[in-house]
Amino acid sequence: MNSLWQTLRTGLLTRSLKKLFALPAWAPGWPVLRPEGLSRAVRRELLELCPSAAFAEEGDEFRLDLAKCVLCGRCFRAHPQAVGELRTLEVAVARREDLVQRVDLATGSFVDPGPPPPTRAELHLPTLAFREVSAGNTGLDDTEVALAGNPFHDMSRFGFTVVASPRHADALLVSGPVSQNMREALLRTYEATPEPKGVVAVGNEAISGEVFAESPQVAGGVDKVLPVDVYVPGSPARPASILHGLLLLSGQARQALVGGRVVQEGRERARTAPSEAGVRKDG
Amino acid sequence: METLKQVLGSGRLVALWYDAPHLHYLVEGSEGAPPQEFRVEARKSFPSLAEEFPALDWFERELWEEHGLVPEGYPALKPLRNHHLPYPFERVEGLHEVPVGPVHAGIIEPGHFRFSVLGERIIHLELRLGYQHRGVERLFQGASLERALLLAERAGGESVAHALAFCQAVEVASGVEVPPRACQLRRVLLELERLFGHLGHLAGLFTDIGYAYAATQVGKVRALLQGQLERLTGHRYGRNALTVGGVGFDLDPKTQLEVRRALSELAAEAEAHLFAALKHPMVLDRLRYVGPITQAQARLLGLVGPAARACGLGRDLRQDDALYQPFTPVTRTGGDVLARAQVYIEEVRQGFAYLDRFLSELPTGAVSAGGVWPLQEGELRKAFSRVEAGRGELFYWVRLRGRRVEQVKIVDPSFKNWRALELAVRGMGLPDFPLINKSFDLSYAGCDL
Ligand code: SF4
Repeated sequence: MNSLWQTLRTGLLTRSLKKLFALPAWAPGWPVLRPEGLSRAVRRELLELCPSAAFAEEGDEFRLDLAKCVLCGRCFRAHPQAVGELRTLEVAVARREDLVQRVDLATGSFVDPGPPPPTRAELHLPTLAFREVSAGNTGLDDTEVALAGNPFHDMSRFGFTVVASPRHADALLVSGPVSQNMREALLRTYEATPEPKGVVAVGNEAISGEVFAESPQVAGGVDKVLPVDVYVPGSPARPASILHGLLLLSGQARQALVGGRVVQEGRERARTAPSEAGVRKDG
Repeated sequence: METLKQVLGSGRLVALWYDAPHLHYLVEGSEGAPPQEFRVEARKSFPSLAEEFPALDWFERELWEEHGLVPEGYPALKPLRNHHLPYPFERVEGLHEVPVGPVHAGIIEPGHFRFSVLGERIIHLELRLGYQHRGVERLFQGASLERALLLAERAGGESVAHALAFCQAVEVASGVEVPPRACQLRRVLLELERLFGHLGHLAGLFTDIGYAYAATQVGKVRALLQGQLERLTGHRYGRNALTVGGVGFDLDPKTQLEVRRALSELAAEAEAHLFAALKHPMVLDRLRYVGPITQAQARLLGLVGPAARACGLGRDLRQDDALYQPFTPVTRTGGDVLARAQVYIEEVRQGFAYLDRFLSELPTGAVSAGGVWPLQEGELRKAFSRVEAGRGELFYWVRLRGRRVEQVKIVDPSFKNWRALELAVRGMGLPDFPLINKSFDLSYAGCDL
């Protein structure tokens, strides 16, 4: 009786996608390069100040890899003229290059990687079952995957469930840089998953290896071992971003990041996509 | 060696690490006394004490694997994290074996459990871990302090505790003074992390016994609590919040008040749900007498944290922390899943009370030491530190040279507590395993490093 009353009083906790995709005011956003501010001195400082080696300079190109960024905010606080802030959680992409910002220093403009490829049509299904595999992860990306199923995020309203066996799964969610000791288990889990099957790399460790990239004990990313369909960056990837990745895989959302930033037409999409899905599912 | 044995006999091993050419044994004697350090020279081998003191078991295997030091007299040496070497599982004649993992059914880190069962009863369990091994300690070698801090935050499941233990070790080594405001803010984060963890296992326990209502309600409190941690630090797990010498954030009086108010609301809500749940006969029935550990076993294995306190071993490092005074560790004597759940619940209550205190009387002043780095280029310093993380005592030892880390040793509380699981499941039914496992709340990543 008491619990019934309490349940009624709690009401509906589930938040619309639009709300979920909004980054809280106190959390730092993703860094985004401003080509006009990238003088030689600033570039040198950026290369030095980033603790995670997310910046790189090679020949005439200056790069920022979001999958290496730990979101410390040092760069855009120190050099706002050269690095801006991208405040979105819809950061899942289907192509690895779409997490890297490349600036051609000779022309002072971004290198355009072309339109992003669509996710595979055979996985655009009304429901998708996932098996989660932690492959050398600190444990937090796994927690975030679990939290994507909590009442606030409620991924099951979009047809997503987590299943116990890879044999019942449509896709694998893989976190961690793939430790050598997990490599075989991961491959065998993948083999046990029936076709058609997708793979989602959850978190920066799973995408680039992040701070573990140089360790001989890890493969340095899931796509070194398996074909990856969707990359969800974050350190750890946030539940809302994971949700965006799953929506992307199932064809319910579109990719917002192209070449590591939200381009104009992408910004349109970012605005419409959540409400579309939100209306369909919430309403 | 003889005094070491004597102290080990009555005390508890905190850590064993190798700083060539010496082995360092850090042993805590009776409560309250500062730990004693013993040095033993070891070049190729060292005398094994694991048979007499099982708490040393994994430490000795680790030394063999990491540094090639052979523990002389160790019976049937097996690898710990290296999966390239053959690993013979212990077999019990005539029993059926059930292998579980490394990929589990839930959303959880990987590990392998080999059960020997008679019908449904577990007669024997052998753990095999190492799947999460990323070579963290080696990555520290030569790292700058900033990068080392990132590694520390990712070494185990508890970002704040690991960052804090690392920073404290570096601060002791270099003599950097942390301002009082930063000290207290660090404790705020540490308690938030503890509560987040504890509420997580409690929700997990309720899920495992099929009490979905309580699991959802506790899960809700936990999610909102995480929101407060994010509010303070900008990160959902408090990463990037600590720096060597202080903290990287500050809060204005308005935020301070709002967070404090939000937390006291959450405290009331948690209290109501948890208190009611543990009165529920079904819950008690399901948790009591499951997965027991005796106090003697806990001593023998050198358990730490809530697992040890649930066996009546009242040690909590917060006892030595001036900011927490007066502090009484939460203890229970049952040693079973219920006792561990009770310790978690009581510590949640305690944690909320300390949070309220820390946030109500925050010292003013700077949040970071500032100034120049005190060590010269090439200057060598060593120090260790201990922090009571949610899972128990976390140990860091660092060797610094100038502004770089030369070597670290990390001992996550889970490294000491994993073996307890092997004992706790004996005689239990196989379906109870997830419940027992969750009640210990062990970190795979922190153990495998
Ligand atoms: S936010 Fe921090 S980690 Fe990310 S690119 Fe900037 S400096 Fe590097």
